[in-house]
Amino acid sequence: MRVSCKQEDLHRGLSAVARAIPARSTLPITQHILFEASEGSVLLSATDAETIAITYRISADVTEPGAITMPSRLLADFVATLPHESIKLTLAERSRQVSLSCARNTASIGGLDPDDFPPIPPVDEAGRIEIEAHRLRKAITQTVFAAATEDSRPVLTGVHFAIADREIRLAAADGFRLSVHNLTLDQDGEERSVIVPARSLGELGRLLQEVEGAVTLTFNAAGTQVEFDLGHAKLVAQLLQGTFPNYDQLIPKETTTRTEVAVQELARETRIASIFARDGSGIVRLIGTPSSTGPGRLQINARAEEVGDNEGEIDAVIDGDEAKIAFNGRYLMDVLQIIDSDRAIIETSSPSSPGVLRPVGDDSFVHVVMPMFVQW
Amino acid sequence: MAKSSGTKPQPIIPPRRIAHFDLDTFFVSVERARNPALVGKPVLVGGNGDRGVVAAASYEARRFGCHSAQPMSHALRLCPDAVIVAPDKAEYSRISMHFHDVLRAYSPYVDSVGLDEAYVDLTSTSPNSDGALQKKPSKSAEIAEAIRTEVRQDLGIAVSVCIAGSRTTAKVGSDRAKPDGLIEVPLGKDAEFLAPVPIRDLPMVGPKLAESLRVAGVKTIGDLANIDRRWLVNSFGRIGEALHTRANGLDAVLIGSSHHSRKSISRERTFDTDVIAYQHLRNELARQTITIGTHLRTHQQRARTITLKLRWKNFETITRSRTVTRPICSTKALLHIGGSILDSVLHSQRGVATAEGINRADLIRPVRLIGITAGNLVSNELQLTLDDLHRNQLPSTDCLFKEELLDDVIDTLRSRFGQHVVKRGVEPT
Repeated sequence: MRVSCKQEDLHRGLSAVARAIPARSTLPITQHILFEASEGSVLLSATDAETIAITYRISADVTEPGAITMPSRLLADFVATLPHESIKLTLAERSRQVSLSCARNTASIGGLDPDDFPPIPPVDEAGRIEIEAHRLRKAITQTVFAAATEDSRPVLTGVHFAIADREIRLAAADGFRLSVHNLTLDQDGEERSVIVPARSLGELGRLLQEVEGAVTLTFNAAGTQVEFDLGHAKLVAQLLQGTFPNYDQLIPKETTTRTEVAVQELARETRIASIFARDGSGIVRLIGTPSSTGPGRLQINARAEEVGDNEGEIDAVIDGDEAKIAFNGRYLMDVLQIIDSDRAIIETSSPSSPGVLRPVGDDSFVHVVMPMFVQW
Repeated sequence: MAKSSGTKPQPIIPPRRIAHFDLDTFFVSVERARNPALVGKPVLVGGNGDRGVVAAASYEARRFGCHSAQPMSHALRLCPDAVIVAPDKAEYSRISMHFHDVLRAYSPYVDSVGLDEAYVDLTSTSPNSDGALQKKPSKSAEIAEAIRTEVRQDLGIAVSVCIAGSRTTAKVGSDRAKPDGLIEVPLGKDAEFLAPVPIRDLPMVGPKLAESLRVAGVKTIGDLANIDRRWLVNSFGRIGEALHTRANGLDAVLIGSSHHSRKSISRERTFDTDVIAYQHLRNELARQTITIGTHLRTHQQRARTITLKLRWKNFETITRSRTVTRPICSTKALLHIGGSILDSVLHSQRGVATAEGINRADLIRPVRLIGITAGNLVSNELQLTLDDLHRNQLPSTDCLFKEELLDDVIDTLRSRFGQHVVKRGVEPT
């Protein structure tokens, strides 16, 4: 094998695929990256052999094709520190020792037989959907944070994709909050309901940052895998098996108070209050007072037990009764950070009923967050 | 919401003057203050029934080997001339409140550790121009002496005190200051003061720990202080770490710097005669959970851990705990968990004749004592879940869950019309 490529390209590719490598594994080769050189390009692959696989193609000058695996950490750290010049990789016939040289630096890295690398399953074409990358990315950003991180109920560690007609509905819930994003499609999608692990979607979101144009989703016939084809990169995720809770009934149909605020202002005040709330249970209290004359106001309060307290206030357009509700400050921050509209609406009914957040002028997103039960 | 008790970086604590005030033979002194005829006589405060236990013994009675927590019958064999006085809890708590009020008048940093003892931080109590602290003389010993005088005048009770650089030293020292004395350990001399004290006098060292330490050649607190901290940690874990700190007089925890709310609340009862009827145990458990539940709700607290304690006839004692993910305060939930621990204990101990029919069964092993503790207390705040919403079990507008709403009604009725105005079905008459 004899390859020459740009340091920047190899570095970007290695960083992208390395995210699939497990922190710990009983299978040592999963700590490696598969390096396959063919005409004009190198395909980098990594997988944890269970839930996720990422491949990434970079352009390269290949004078002699070949394949080898190399330990991911060593290779990635080495390449990351090299100057922005071309890197030459050579591998002698029947050898496993790769020679790398860049500028006046040379290295030799021992690899493993590429045939031992866990195969990345091809996803047969049972269903294909095309989505614009930036829209898929927004849908992921607005849901993935609400998925559970602990796996007492495994299905909740994923994001539910409900495909019907010309729409994909993404939903995630960790038991305390629910995030739903409606993604409209340009073509009809085959009706399907799957759960994609939030971790894989998080990695996909990162990969999507550099993608313009469309992404292709392909599901396999067995309903066990989904492949996201980004052009130069692919991500294959194992789907979570199980039934996602029916969440429609969790979105309140009617609420008594509708409070419209500037997202950035509320985020700023919540961030300040959270500093005071962090020693307690992270409780941030919202008190909305309507006004008949001008705009109403929303107070954002927090207390630090025996230390002090904090009170912030912002303008709010309040429609309905006075509202009092307490949230975990982190949950409130999480949702405010992913709303990309200038203004948002908070719908509430009572201190112990769920709060509903919606961006103004964008009905593709709705978020339900359970309040904290506190003494008022 | 769970917090890991990871090692936080410890704040740097400036040298402190911590005083431990301890009322001498508290119950006895209260009784003598209102009945001077008892002065000079051996007095035992406690119940006089078959199962009566000594709650307090006067110095005269202690000379005969009497001490608190001893069966009354045993104490009377040791000292047949002792005068027995039934305890008057209401009076003790009234006197205790007065005592604490006196302490708080001298320092804002008072950490009460019982009816009759408290730590007071005297570090920065010097005269102040703003008038708020004018009552305080400038030196800690003078303040302590002033407190002693005031308590003696107001209550007719002697209070012993030790002023030191750490809580442990102050506690150990106040025992040595008794009766009616004051000891001040000079700044930086804590370890020196503690060195000759027998290891058993160090708070937290019980008979078992003392025995383990004796095997390692540790007889005094000084011996303990000289032991490598790492060995202590390896052998005893977190307790080892605490032993090291305390033996060296280094536990200068800032008094009043953190919220010292109660960490647990418990009720237990030694039966007059050993119990063999299951329902009898359940009834007692119900009574205890009602008291604990009311306490939790009045103090706006919830418990994460419920512990059941059972003592069999032969004094063998077992405790079993259960921790819940969502902290509870309702009587129903407390009784449900307490009862299910009781059932599983009885089953595992084969204390019940049949696995079925537990309600009718008599126990094979008679029970001497039953008790329940609500521990791991947290404030009355809960993150509501989507499951609550799904099951339509959200708290009502006055912020109480359904089962807690009933408690609230009962609590209110009882506080207005007395304890007997309303009873639960589970409550024995």
